[in-house]
Amino acid sequence: MTDISSLDALADSTRRQLFELLRQGPRSVNELAEALPVSQPAVSQHLKVLKQARLVKSRKQGNQRIYTINPDGLAELRDYVEGLWQDVLTAFQEAADTQAEEH
Amino acid sequence: MKDSKKTQTTIPAVEKVINVSLPIEAAFDLFTKGIASWWPLKSHSVGNERVETCVFEGRAGGRIYEIQGDGTQSDWGQVITWEPPRRVIFTWHPGRIADTAQEVEVIFTAIEGGTRLELTHTGWELLGDRADGIREQYESGWNYVLGQLVGRAERTSN
Repeated sequence: MTDISSLDALADSTRRQLFELLRQGPRSVNELAEALPVSQPAVSQHLKVLKQARLVKSRKQGNQRIYTINPDGLAELRDYVEGLWQDVLTAFQEAADTQAEEH
Repeated sequence: MKDSKKTQTTIPAVEKVINVSLPIEAAFDLFTKGIASWWPLKSHSVGNERVETCVFEGRAGGRIYEIQGDGTQSDWGQVITWEPPRRVIFTWHPGRIADTAQEVEVIFTAIEGGTRLELTHTGWELLGDRADGIREQYESGWNYVLGQLVGRAERTSN
């Protein structure tokens, strides 16, 4: 249950705020830096971590870099959780049915 | 902030339904307090091979955690709502800090020959606007997690 790097990336409050801003729509690094009390280099560093975790992606537009949410990364995260509960509930079902047979 | 249009970033909740042949009370007890007897610890834990057991404290505010061979405890989550034998809601953040907790609700319904269990895992928005409701339910301050989330929800809703 430890390999959800995307959730680890969101453990930082500045990154969480950046992520929430991007949920509202695409933003440039400048816009993100203006919205938060954080320097632009720091914002860029946080965006890099979010990008590595596949939570955001970026594209060049003129001389600006525009960031957006990466739905693929979020879908992967959801698939992971889906698989986790499938495994867990199957184990529960087996235990419950075994206990029911014993009575 | 020129762009006000919403992007499609809403991730649907994970929903699972299973039926078991135990009566509702027994199913609820096995799922919660009896968790150590069935949870697949080797594959689904923080410590994997090092894990000895896990504990589900059956009360509001109760901890859900694993215990490793050397005595190390690692939190998985905390019980928010405890309504045996029909409903339990807990936060979920195994291997992560509580700030990133999501939320799991399990509803038990008596059916012919056993119990239906519906599990819903939400919180892709990190609890978002639901955090306010949770704060109303548990104002006791036990939960650093929710304090953080409520603060964040208020900031993002402004």
